[in-house]
Amino acid sequence: MQGSARRAGAMTDVHRRFLQLLMTHGALEEWDVQRLQKHCHEVHGSNAPEEKLEDFITTINSVLESLYIEIKKGVTEDDGRPIYALVNLATTPISKMASDFAENELDLFRKALELIVDSETGFASSTNILNLVDQLKGKRMRKKEAEQVLQKFVQNKWLIEKEGEFTLHSRTILEMGQHIRETYPDAVKICDICHGLLIQGQSCDTCGIRMHLPCVAKYFQSNPEPRCPHCNDYWPHRVPEVFDPQKEPETGVSKSNRKSLRSRQH
Amino acid sequence: MPRGQKSKLRAREKRRKAHAEMQAQALRDAGVFATEEEEFFSSAPAVPEDSPQNVPAAEPPNTSQEPQNTPSSTDDTTTAISCTDSNEGASKEDEETSTSSKALENFRRDPLNKKVVLLMQFLLQKYQSKELVTKADMLKFVIKKYKNHFNEILRRASGHMELAFGIDLKEVDPTRHYYILVSKLDLTCDETMSEEDLPKTGLLMIVLGVIFMSGNCAPEEAIWEVLNLIGIYADKNHIIYGDPRKVITKDLVQLNYLEYHQVPNSDPPRYEFQWGPRAHAETSKMKVLEFIAKIYDTVPSAFSIWYEEALQDEEERARARAAARARIAANARSRAKATCSSHTK
Repeated sequence: MQGSARRAGAMTDVHRRFLQLLMTHGALEEWDVQRLQKHCHEVHGSNAPEEKLEDFITTINSVLESLYIEIKKGVTEDDGRPIYALVNLATTPISKMASDFAENELDLFRKALELIVDSETGFASSTNILNLVDQLKGKRMRKKEAEQVLQKFVQNKWLIEKEGEFTLHSRTILEMGQHIRETYPDAVKICDICHGLLIQGQSCDTCGIRMHLPCVAKYFQSNPEPRCPHCNDYWPHRVPEVFDPQKEPETGVSKSNRKSLRSRQH
Repeated sequence: MPRGQKSKLRAREKRRKAHAEMQAQALRDAGVFATEEEEFFSSAPAVPEDSPQNVPAAEPPNTSQEPQNTPSSTDDTTTAISCTDSNEGASKEDEETSTSSKALENFRRDPLNKKVVLLMQFLLQKYQSKELVTKADMLKFVIKKYKNHFNEILRRASGHMELAFGIDLKEVDPTRHYYILVSKLDLTCDETMSEEDLPKTGLLMIVLGVIFMSGNCAPEEAIWEVLNLIGIYADKNHIIYGDPRKVITKDLVQLNYLEYHQVPNSDPPRYEFQWGPRAHAETSKMKVLEFIAKIYDTVPSAFSIWYEEALQDEEERARARAAARARIAANARSRAKATCSSHTK
């Protein structure tokens, strides 16, 4: 248990630069965030020793607190990578997207969100989403347009696409998790371990409880005979590995996360 | 001369009435808030069900007194990090945070501050989409009933933008009340450029260069002459830039990087380009010259005449920055004095 009290330091241009850049990217994974912190530190030629990331973020959050904004940390559902996003707590979550998208586009997102939340796997197929195009509010949208809008959602880190199916990006879960739980209380699935909102995960064939993949990994770590925590039946799925930040994610990182890097390498 | 008894009483009565009025208005508005702003502030999660949940690393310092106001929502983390990162928040309360959390409570109770928060988030969205901000929009979408307090709300919101984000709200048109949001920190192209922006930037820099080298105002024909040299044509779809004509006469104009207007009394109508307010705010003549120099594989000083002008521009900017710094320092001092004296009352 960490002993020292987490005291917020003073907000400097290093923190401000970090905040502006994090805001530009929407959401960043932890190692990107660490590099960003380092970069901001270097740009300002600060002689002070670099703060630990936790403290750095605490400092920023202490200033943002009264503004109902926060840098929130979460974990990706597929392989447990830590991810950070600047989250707005004071208005309905979809309003954050409202400035970038038209009314019919927002409604498409809402429809996709509903399908994803309702689904068994946490994924909604492109076909199923596009079939709802006629029901959208606002200007009429053709299926071709809708396909492009879905790609825009992926680019802006609201959705993730895998083999023609869509699920929620961790950013969406971080930003809209509360809203989703309140809006779809019956359809929403919850992880039995962490009690957080669950979109993707594994479920017990016998009793139906669900767990996030990273939660499964942690819970059954080095357990040769994993059993369901609820009904004690054998756990029917392959237990994934616990995420190890030391195993540098330069390799094998999913495509959607590489984008933030590419633009910096020119 | 000290005030007489009567006038003191009258003043006190006046203050009390005004205060009661504000309170009543605030209550009425609070009722409206719930419907208007849909879960405003209630989405700061009041659900404490996940107390054994570990708290995300970025937890704000004061969480004990008002758990319902704590923005750090434990149940919104997508999954547990580790069970050993125990819920330290509640036990960590220092006395020093209790005064700051009191101040926070007072801040939140002030109905104006709710509008300040909403306006700030509105401005942040506008900043990210690089759109122009108009007073009309702010009144319509955010301020609404509080339009009499617009200036105060705007002042506070822009203060927060500066303090927390280092973003400046600049009025570019005082008659129509148009504003733009600019980072005070020199964000380099590398840092901010997203994949879609990059092509437009290159094109923009070239156009800004042509305008600069045409004496800060360039006829449209001159722009196309240069662009044609590098294979960009007005009537041909370009593999990177798409519709170049639309990009420079509409998109970049809308984003306030360029100004595009008809030459007065021209028949047939001819058009000319100038730098837009955002170009002035985000780049400089020297930067544009550096960009052009790179293309020609040379240095800015090779373009002696324009180099002179760019140098002068740099000097003026440096002077303006110094003056701004002095102003900010003076404001900070007077604000510090004011808070000191208010504490001693």
